[in-house]
Amino acid sequence: MMSIVKKRTIENAQNNDTKQIHRALPELIDAMESCDVNVRRLAARELAFYPEAAQTLVSCLKRECDSSVREVILTSLTRCDSPEFVEELADCLRSEDASLRNEVIEAMKAITVEVVPVMEQLLVDPDPDVRILAVNILESLRHPKVEQWLINIIERDSHVNVCAAAVDLLCELATEKSRPALEVFITRFSDEPYIRFAAELALYRIKANRIT
Amino acid sequence: MKRILIVDDAATVRLYHRNIIESAGFVADEAINGIEALEKALSMPFDLFLVDINMPKLDGYGFIKELRSQDIAQAPAMIVSTEAKESDRDKAYMAGANLYIIKPTKPQELLTYIGLLLGEEAA
Repeated sequence: MMSIVKKRTIENAQNNDTKQIHRALPELIDAMESCDVNVRRLAARELAFYPEAAQTLVSCLKRECDSSVREVILTSLTRCDSPEFVEELADCLRSEDASLRNEVIEAMKAITVEVVPVMEQLLVDPDPDVRILAVNILESLRHPKVEQWLINIIERDSHVNVCAAAVDLLCELATEKSRPALEVFITRFSDEPYIRFAAELALYRIKANRIT
Repeated sequence: MKRILIVDDAATVRLYHRNIIESAGFVADEAINGIEALEKALSMPFDLFLVDINMPKLDGYGFIKELRSQDIAQAPAMIVSTEAKESDRDKAYMAGANLYIIKPTKPQELLTYIGLLLGEEAA
């Protein structure tokens, strides 16, 4: 175990991280069960150095009540950067806890591993609330597929608020490619003033970008 | 003139609500999350808060809870959210919200609720 720990410490030092690992994985997992918030927070921080602990961290996140520990868990998860946990993390979007949902959205925006398969699942999730939150994650994903995903939503999704979230984002990033879908979209929700407003704004911005 | 603070992380929603509010003769201001809304509420008085739930940094529940518990403002707060679950409504009222309505809003509906909360005839 010591050699593994040393190896990890060297790797982390190479990543310009001055944090030293003092404890082994089982000890840290035990510490996450502590009643002491400080003990849990410290353990969560050290678990960042163990990508294989990602699933444990997500489990802890789901039951953690202290916001400062949750914050450290999410930071550690994003530093783990392992694709295995992304799906688990996305599951937290179903939480009843609005703070946790928002914290997870922010964490998923910061993830650098491949999230496309998870996003494609979330965008067609049976729960419209999950689909709305998934659209919120797209906001800062900077992925070439984002505009097409949003077009698919405004063309196919039947839930007005999922479509509203998509058109909100299209107001920021729509190109000429979105124009035909937006024009049809206005007629699909013709009795919703907000949808008309947002879609017309997106179309106006596409036109303005074409002129400038 | 009555001042209304719109608290929502979606720029398009803020603009839509601002247009409705200003067209009815109210003064509108905006905040992009609960933290910015608290800062604004501390620096100037508002007659009404129009609050989304899901926002980064501090969500709608947290904002209203702080508003009430720190005695920053007792002006009515209307939640305007996509969250339609009963548990979300309960949480909002527990936090100190006065009304909970589901997006998307229609202009006349929104103005009717604003009028009710401000104790005025709808514009």
